Amino acid sequence: MENSLAKWISFFRAGNKGEDQKTHRQEKHHHRIGHKHGEGSAIDFYAYASKIRHWNPTFKVIFSLITLLLVILLNNPLVSLVVIISMAYLTVIKGGLPLGAYISVLMIPITFIILGTIAIGIDFSSLPMGQFNLFIGFGYVFTSADKLQEMAFLMLKVFGAISAMIMMTLSTPSSEIIGVLRKAHVPKLIIELMNLIYRYIFILLDVFNNMRNSADSRQGYGDFKTSCYTFGSVASNMLVVSLKKANAYYTAMEARGYEGDLIFLEEEKKMAVSHLIIGAAFIIFLILLRIMTPWEG
Amino acid sequence: MNKSMNIREKRFVAIAAAIALVFGLTPVANAMHIMEGYLPAGFCIAWGAICIPFLIAGYMSIRKTLKENPKTITLLAMAGAYVFVLSSLKIPSVTGSCSHMTGTGLGAILFGPTAVSILGIIVLIFQAILLAHGGLTTLGANTFSMAIAGPFVTYGIFVLCKKIKVNKHLGVFLAAAIGDLFTYCVTAFQLAMAYPSESGGVGVSVVKFLLVFAPTQLPLAIIEGILTVVIIIGLETYASSELAELGYLAGGVK
Amino acid sequence: MREPILKFSNLYYRYGNGNPALDGISVDIYQGEKIAVIGSNGSGKSTFFLNANGVLKADHGEISYQGTIINKKNVRELRKNIGIVFQDADNQIIASTVMAEVGFGPMNLKLPKAEVIQRVDEALTYMNILDFKDRPPHYLSGGEKKRVTIADVIAMKSEVIIFDEPTAALDPLNAQMLEEVLGKLGAEGKTMLISTHDVDFAYRWAERAMVFNQGKIIADGTPLEIFQNREILEQANLKRPVMLDVYEMLIEKEMVENTNAYPTTPQALRDLLVNTALSAGKA
Repeated sequence: MENSLAKWISFFRAGNKGEDQKTHRQEKHHHRIGHKHGEGSAIDFYAYASKIRHWNPTFKVIFSLITLLLVILLNNPLVSLVVIISMAYLTVIKGGLPLGAYISVLMIPITFIILGTIAIGIDFSSLPMGQFNLFIGFGYVFTSADKLQEMAFLMLKVFGAISAMIMMTLSTPSSEIIGVLRKAHVPKLIIELMNLIYRYIFILLDVFNNMRNSADSRQGYGDFKTSCYTFGSVASNMLVVSLKKANAYYTAMEARGYEGDLIFLEEEKKMAVSHLIIGAAFIIFLILLRIMTPWEG
Repeated sequence: MNKSMNIREKRFVAIAAAIALVFGLTPVANAMHIMEGYLPAGFCIAWGAICIPFLIAGYMSIRKTLKENPKTITLLAMAGAYVFVLSSLKIPSVTGSCSHMTGTGLGAILFGPTAVSILGIIVLIFQAILLAHGGLTTLGANTFSMAIAGPFVTYGIFVLCKKIKVNKHLGVFLAAAIGDLFTYCVTAFQLAMAYPSESGGVGVSVVKFLLVFAPTQLPLAIIEGILTVVIIIGLETYASSELAELGYLAGGVK
Repeated sequence: MREPILKFSNLYYRYGNGNPALDGISVDIYQGEKIAVIGSNGSGKSTFFLNANGVLKADHGEISYQGTIINKKNVRELRKNIGIVFQDADNQIIASTVMAEVGFGPMNLKLPKAEVIQRVDEALTYMNILDFKDRPPHYLSGGEKKRVTIADVIAMKSEVIIFDEPTAALDPLNAQMLEEVLGKLGAEGKTMLISTHDVDFAYRWAERAMVFNQGKIIADGTPLEIFQNREILEQANLKRPVMLDVYEMLIEKEMVENTNAYPTTPQALRDLLVNTALSAGKA
């Protein structure tokens, strides 16, 4: 028994190791395309590189949000499937993002999706129920064909929703998304904080990378205990640096005439009429699709 | 007999495979952001509505702070960026899989829970946009569990421990770890509400979600607690003056 | 006697309860001057700059810009006309695209949008970074960020430009780019103050040098006067420029005639040596 447990553990470890290497490779890959962004966000980098970046950001944000809402409201597997395919088309073919990169972004929430869906699809009971059940000592774990279908449809819906959202984030830099929120009359204070936070995130990531490398060069990540200690020291040091930078920043802002209103110059990107028409047609098509298909999700 | 053994075996293999799949495919164990598309529209709106009073309170408190001292704007923004960066970093782990802190517990201890609600929702938006963790329709639910419920519990326990004179670092550990666990319970509850169990309703469903996420979330809560203590010790040793400055941001450590 | 563009009289400034960071600074700065501000870390240079720009308000003393004494009401004039390029570009760049960053100052001046856009384009063209317009600062290199911060100030059309240790983190190529930009700005008659620890740079670039020490200006004159004054150099812990040492060595060994035509660049020294050799040949 113990033996088999040990085997399982080593199996998990091996599995994890494989995954680790995979993520590591991906990171290296990102690092190569993403010149100088260390542990930064790959999505941010792709957004700047996207070939549909010049599309009007308000259009992209609204289109992506409506599509996202339709996926959830219509709750129909066919709609989800159409959205998954068309969003992939927009991001990969139109936007020029490599397919591998697209899939790796799509797979970021896979852990949550698998665990969450399993929890929904499988049920406990003290009596044997459902089409498939398993006695586990104190009761039954069971599921049914309906449940399995629900799981599959839910997964489609989740991937549809995610692909609608990442169509926006993989083609619109955050500064432009914030600009759209500003136009939507989100309170000024929130917009100012978002603008500053977005900029500071990358500054702190740089600070962190430097500190981590210097700690790494001194064997600061040797074992678990040292790692925890190093991580904590780096993190607290980073907070001190960020507080000092906050003051320096305020000074630099004042030096350029900041008087309490943070206003940035934004580039106006023309709304293409063809985009509006195609976008509206797509949305109508999704709704018609829902009406024509019998499924209740 | 032979046949049933066979079925048993098959089932065992199937379940083992499922578990292996779960663990094998767990390169990223996040704090539990509910993903885009998981919640039906009604729940998205309801959770968003529940957050509104907290967000208004946070907004008012931040606006008041800024009126008294305009310089706090960069400080607040740095605090927000700090929470984001902290939550995006891989933390040390025993198993070799990679996981992340929520960082909002530390944020609540340092900056106070009201400021964290506003910073928290901004951080969650950026996590959705920049990291594809969480989502826009689930923003309300995630804000409630991570930027409101967790931080308030953390802050409450932190203050309570200070009052009953528990060792300060133990207090910080308990506050951060329990806050994390509370976030996890709230998320499980949110999911269970949306997906009640056929056999036993929401109650059974909560148990299912808690069980399924326990292997990733329990160790995470402990590690979050440990790291928060290490960070606080680090700050106490070489940043006492900066800590005093943070007093501004409404009732932090001081 | 021409009117100074900036006049400081008896400026005092102190952070919290520490020693005064500025301890009675009085100095006149004239239009078009190229001034090197030298002195060790913590000698008061940065505090002086922040006072000059109106970000810090002196405890005593006054500043006048083009003859007008600056008070609370017209401090905007200082911010507008005196631009600072900070030492660390990452502490200055606050926007998320180069265009928004360079437009930040003009937007704060409440200029009409069309003019802001025009100024941004001009400043980016000036710094040769027009292609970076849509890029976010976090994907720029150190030298590129420096150019953006200089464009920031150019877009404000400041009369006086202050550079806080501009060469500190630049590689040789970018340092050269910086000197070219400084030359271009100088040719346009901009008044410039540059703080630096690079005495060779100060010696070849500046027309005037000020030495700060413990919140006071302990010397103010041509770079040559200052670098020949051993007492000042010792007091402020400064080294002598290499070109000055070389020239004086050559004179000491009677290898060139002492004409007081101090060369400040290798090229000038070369010319001097060639001329000396030629005249020696003639003789």
